[in-house]
Order: sequence, then C-alpha cells, then structure tokens
Amino acid sequence: MAILRVTFESGAPPRVIEFDPARAPFQHDGRPGSILDVLLAHGVDLEHACGGNCACTTCHVIVKRGGERLSPAEESEEDLLDKAVGLTPTSRLACQAVVLHPEAEIEVLVPRYTINIDSGSHGR
Amino acid sequence: MAAEREARVERVVAHAPGTRTLVLRLPPGERLAFRPGQFVSCLLPVGGERLIRPYSIASSPEEPARLEILLDLVPGGPGSRHLFGLGPGDRLRFTGPWGTFVLDRPPDAEAVFVAAETGIAPIRPMLRRAAATAVHPLRLLYGTALGLYHDELAALPGVTVEVVAPRALEAAVAARFIQADDDRSRHFYLCGVGEQVTRLRDGLRAAGYARRAVQYEKW
Repeated sequence: MAILRVTFESGAPPRVIEFDPARAPFQHDGRPGSILDVLLAHGVDLEHACGGNCACTTCHVIVKRGGERLSPAEESEEDLLDKAVGLTPTSRLACQAVVLHPEAEIEVLVPRYTINIDSGSHGR
Repeated sequence: MAAEREARVERVVAHAPGTRTLVLRLPPGERLAFRPGQFVSCLLPVGGERLIRPYSIASSPEEPARLEILLDLVPGGPGSRHLFGLGPGDRLRFTGPWGTFVLDRPPDAEAVFVAAETGIAPIRPMLRRAAATAVHPLRLLYGTALGLYHDELAALPGVTVEVVAPRALEAAVAARFIQADDDRSRHFYLCGVGEQVTRLRDGLRAAGYARRAVQYEKW
C-alpha cells in the first residue's frame, strides 16, 4: 500500500491516506492515480477549479517528501506552475502528479492561497 | 471552495450539428469581472454526480452580465451532452473566472493568435482587447471550416486574419513563423483541442521563440 500524508497551511487537521495505486482511478477528476484523484476519493476536498484538466493552478500542492515516486512534471504543468502563487522547487499540480510506486510514501502541503482565487474578483 | 454562481441560458445559437453557443445571463444586478481569455467551470448535475467542465468565455469583459460559451458535442461525453440539452430559461451553475491564459494588453511585439476551430473562443476577447490599443501587428491564423467570428475579427483595426483548413494549421504555423524568416520576437497565443496545441507549442519553442512568448490553452 502507498501512503499519502497531507498537511494544510490553513491549519486543518492533517490526514494520512493509505491506498493501492494499482486500483486507480478512484474517481473522475485529474489523472488516474494522481494526488488529486486520491485526495478527492478520500474526502479531502482539494480545490480543482478546471476539473483536473491541467488548465488552472488551484490544485497546487507542495511535495515535502517522496517526490521521486511521482510522475515527472510535463511542460504543460511547468508552464502553469510558473503562474502559481507561492511556487517552490517541489511544487506540483495535484491533478497531474501520479503516484507511481506501489509502496510510495508521499507527503504534501496544501497551501492557503492560489492565484486563481485572487484573480476571481466577483463583482456584483 | 470556490464561490458558486448561477446564470440562465438566454439563447442557444447552433453553428453546426455538434457546435453551438450558449448565451448566459447573470441574475439582475450581478456581473462577472474577468480577463480576456479566462474560463468558467460549469457545474453539471449528471448521473447523481456533479461534473466540472471548464469553458472559455467567448464574450468580452466589457459585457460583464452576459457570457457566451462555445460548445463542442463530445462523443460519449456526459458533460457536453448535458449542456447540449439546455435551452432558454434553464439554469447553469458555475465557478470562476479562472485561468492564466489571458491578455490584458497587447505585447510589445507582433502578436500571433493561432486558433483551431472552437479554440477561437478565448482568442476572440483577447484579440478584441489587443486591437483596442495595439501598436504592433496582430495576426490571427485560424484553422477552421466553420469560420466562427471571422468577419467581426477581420474587421478589427490592425488585425490580419488568415483562414486555413483545420488539417493545414500546423504546417501553416511552421511555414509562416518558423521557415519564412529568422524573426523570433513574436508572441503567440494558441488555443485548440488536444495534442495539436502542445505540438504547436513545442515547435515554436524549439524554433527559438522564448518559452514565455508562447502562451497556450489546451482543451
């Protein structure tokens, strides 16, 4: 089994999720077996405004551990990450980063803000 | 999570059997502030679940109470089938605006917009915005059989529009902007469906255009 540990900059309680990567997809948004796929299927309501289609940055997470056990970022993901608020060298889009190893131990931090929430100024 | 909004379908415009525009109207007194090129994510109740389907806003920010989205019917796609079932008066929930494929002002160089068929949707407000203040040339290379918005975009000041067959789009980009000269100062805005967009992106970057000068949205 793989393990995904999630902490939240918002202060929400951390989560530890055990799952079998071979059983992906676990739901319908994001790449099958992606961090987003795993989180949504286990009750972690991570923002994913574009539906997990690699078209926004709202599912930005910071990988604290186990990044080498994830699928490498493709150019489309890197281009979007360029525009993410709070970008770090280990930032990923949760919809694109697929857990590859059956016994991976991954730890991610969900940051508080994204650029899209800032720019989504809803006038009335 | 993102704030949800609701609009009503004001009008449906059929362009072809599998292509239509939904004209959406926000409730009285409401408006949506967005940047040219951004999209909304439609929240669709399908089969007991809620599907998220992003659609570029094809109308302009200058009309903030009225949104146009351009739809392709996707074979076997429950989201687009649901949207094709909507008619005037029906409600549609959405979040947004979202997205970083935007143009707030024209770049300080020739700008080339490359649209593949309904990929014209975000390009339309971007090109309108660019045309309002552009100093450098604006070009639209449009791979289309339908020719949506062609006449209005061709009438914009400073805009040159060239239409090619959808299948000829990649070759046309290469011929005009890679093989024709050594100018690599142009800025590109690409939009379409599928891997064609990433091939165009890769070709332009490999030919020497700066990475950040090649912006794109791939649906």
